[in-house]
Amino acid sequence: MKHSIQSLMVAAKLVLLLALGCSAAHAAELRVLTHASFALPKPLLAQFEKEAGVTLRITKAGDAGEMLNKLILTRAKPVADVVFGIDNVLAAKALGAQVLDGVESPPSVKPLGGVNTVTLPAGLVPVDYGYVTLNYDKAWFAKKGLALPRSLDDLTQPAYAKLLVVQNPATSSPGNAFLLATIGAMGEDKAFAWWARMRANGVKVAKGWSEAYYTDFTHSGGSRPLVVSYASSPAAELFYSKNKLTEPPTASLALAGAVFRQVEGVALVKGGKERAAAIKFIEFLRAPAAQQGLQTEMWMFPADATVPRVEALRQAVEPTRHDSPGAQAIADKGAEWVRRWTKVVLK
Amino acid sequence: MVSTNRTRLALAAFPLAFLLVVLVAPALRLLLEGGQVSLLAPLQEAYLRWRLAWSFLQAAVCCVVALGLGLPVAWVLARFDFAGRTLVLRALMLPFVVPTLVAAMGVLALLGPQGLLHSWGGPDLQGGPWLLIYGNLFFNLCLVVRAATEALGQVSASRVAAARTLGATPWRVFVRIEWPAIAPWLASAMCLVFLYCACGFGLALVLGGQEYATVEVEIYTLVAHELQLAQAASLALWMLALTGLVALAYALIERRLAAPARADTIARRRPQGVLQWASLWAALAVLALFCAAPLLAIVWRALAAGAVAWSVLWDAATLAALWNSLRFTVLAVLLATALGLAHALAARKSLLLRTLVFLPFVVSPVMVAFGLLLLYPTWTASFGLLVCAYALLAYPFVAKSIAAGLDSMPVHLAQAARSLGATPWHVFSRVTLPLLRPALRRGMAFAAATAVGEFAVTLFLSRPEWATLTTLVYEYLGRPGATNRDAALVLSCLLMGLALLAFVLIEWAAPPRDRDVLLHA
Repeated sequence: MKHSIQSLMVAAKLVLLLALGCSAAHAAELRVLTHASFALPKPLLAQFEKEAGVTLRITKAGDAGEMLNKLILTRAKPVADVVFGIDNVLAAKALGAQVLDGVESPPSVKPLGGVNTVTLPAGLVPVDYGYVTLNYDKAWFAKKGLALPRSLDDLTQPAYAKLLVVQNPATSSPGNAFLLATIGAMGEDKAFAWWARMRANGVKVAKGWSEAYYTDFTHSGGSRPLVVSYASSPAAELFYSKNKLTEPPTASLALAGAVFRQVEGVALVKGGKERAAAIKFIEFLRAPAAQQGLQTEMWMFPADATVPRVEALRQAVEPTRHDSPGAQAIADKGAEWVRRWTKVVLK
Repeated sequence: MVSTNRTRLALAAFPLAFLLVVLVAPALRLLLEGGQVSLLAPLQEAYLRWRLAWSFLQAAVCCVVALGLGLPVAWVLARFDFAGRTLVLRALMLPFVVPTLVAAMGVLALLGPQGLLHSWGGPDLQGGPWLLIYGNLFFNLCLVVRAATEALGQVSASRVAAARTLGATPWRVFVRIEWPAIAPWLASAMCLVFLYCACGFGLALVLGGQEYATVEVEIYTLVAHELQLAQAASLALWMLALTGLVALAYALIERRLAAPARADTIARRRPQGVLQWASLWAALAVLALFCAAPLLAIVWRALAAGAVAWSVLWDAATLAALWNSLRFTVLAVLLATALGLAHALAARKSLLLRTLVFLPFVVSPVMVAFGLLLLYPTWTASFGLLVCAYALLAYPFVAKSIAAGLDSMPVHLAQAARSLGATPWHVFSRVTLPLLRPALRRGMAFAAATAVGEFAVTLFLSRPEWATLTTLVYEYLGRPGATNRDAALVLSCLLMGLALLAFVLIEWAAPPRDRDVLLHA
């Protein structure tokens, strides 16, 4: 009996020790909600904590759409003070659900410089942007001797049957962005007619980006040499290549109607606490250090065009044109388009 | 032996309160949020009807195939002795802890468009239902084999010997003596396989594609992405009702068929003759094909990635994730053990409680996750909630294992102790608990595996500093580039190694035959 009591005590101490390993810090806490892809260099975040006198509690809540839904569900008692990752697709939904503190961007955040200015509706401060577009496997096309498609219509031809994998717009931000690009370029009816032809031509639908890229894309061992991804993906491929390649094994294919510009922003959460620190965090994301740091962590372009591009991201070809329905149209019809897409392509 | 009603009630209160707070209340909260729930809606739409039908169809197919393949394999493992037998049995647990996306990559590496089968001239199986069924078998065949091996090990040696001397053929012996003895165990395993396949989420998400995804995937889409709570709720209720019936039937079968374990177990012998050796090799081949191949494919790809890729093991992020995985697992297993033990002891005579053990399996994890978020917004991404969620998903394993152990425990030992004047607590700590030790260890091993490879909890709000090995794998898979993919593969290997270690520590700690020693003492 004595022995078992002793071992019980040891176990209790162990439990206490394990639990304490993650007890909350006592400094003021700034709760940041982000999507799963959020990443910044750790020293930068530590420096922010020191300068702002707060502890960052960053919570990752899945895909951006999923994150926003969690924010909407918990609006009565917000789970965060500041949210990063709401983009131009989700902005209207977020504003409509009134989960953001709809104030103008803090005056302390300096206006964006440069020519290629990106914008978001009031209440959201643009932080970075990127292009959702087609990527292709260079080796596959070279080996098959197949010419690259020159338009979205080409993709509906027999020669390109079963070559493309897209993400389900219902479950994936890039998937939704790609759908919006097609609607923006062709108009609703023509776009869905195109999708119907794509279905007939064997377009494959994956749940999210990693499934499409890592299981279906030929470059990763799949069967589809064309995938919906980002314009920066080839640069990332080069950056993370094993044998230090000199040129990316993949490339983006910015066909007309297949490019969507995604602008990600940060915003105060309505009903959140720590307002001063939250505004400091917004300033921090827009300051040159974070604008530079995010480039190879998130593979997005900095919203502030005066901040120099890092070498790795210069490999990415920035598309010259992009398509999108208007912000109001996305807000009004976005959900309906996704439902219609599901009917046309899946059901 | 715990016997009084009051004790049982007190024991039941703990797991029931836990289920209420962590599972039932959150799920109900989400249902309320959805507003008017129309139960008929899923039946009126062909698309949703197909989702429901397919979920159950693929589960049924997997059950049949798993039993058909698993029982002969288990018979060979239970009756024959050969070098490495124990190792094979332990290794059978490995599929259980492989993160789903990694398992899916393994499956694709074998059967996908650029997989081995295709490169050897076989068909490309992607796009059909085959990958999902194979993936389900990868996870569940081992479960059937383990349960059946365990059960066959409890068949009475004297009865088999008697039948043999009376001239019964091996087949007759199997049908008349072995089968009745192992049926409850198989029923329990079948039930689990059915529930896993029907309620399975991660695998269906990745391997099912859009056409062969299951209801759980549909619920996830509706809740997380479309915020269509009412429709999701009606689907979830359908799943709950249908799988609840399976769980209830299982609880009934198990209780009826439960019999105390035999003390005289059949001694294993080395295979003799061509036929026996051939059956051994066939059994091992089946296991290799269904359980080992995807894992080997991952190891092979990780090794092919080269030495540089393996340096990820020394990254600060990896070490932090390793520490997180370890401590979350330890805490979750401790909580799950307490919950499981209490539940199993309380549920000995209660059909309802036995059925309730399955609640964490049959209630959609997505509903629970979002319900928790709604009900306890201040607790989101809190350490306590995370460990509770892990324990919630892990504790049915402990409860089930102990329930099976209790069913097969001879009552006269406890009665004897009582008649010699032992207090109930003494009986429990000196007689019941030692006898339960193998079952407890097994349950804890399952629980540890569940916690180490946890996937569904990543749906909760999680914090970067709490990244576990599993979430780290997903993070690497979220970025393009060869080194990221290689890092994910290497970490998957580490995860497998860790799971193996958990089993070594928990299952190998005691001599495997201590139960027999105790029974004879």
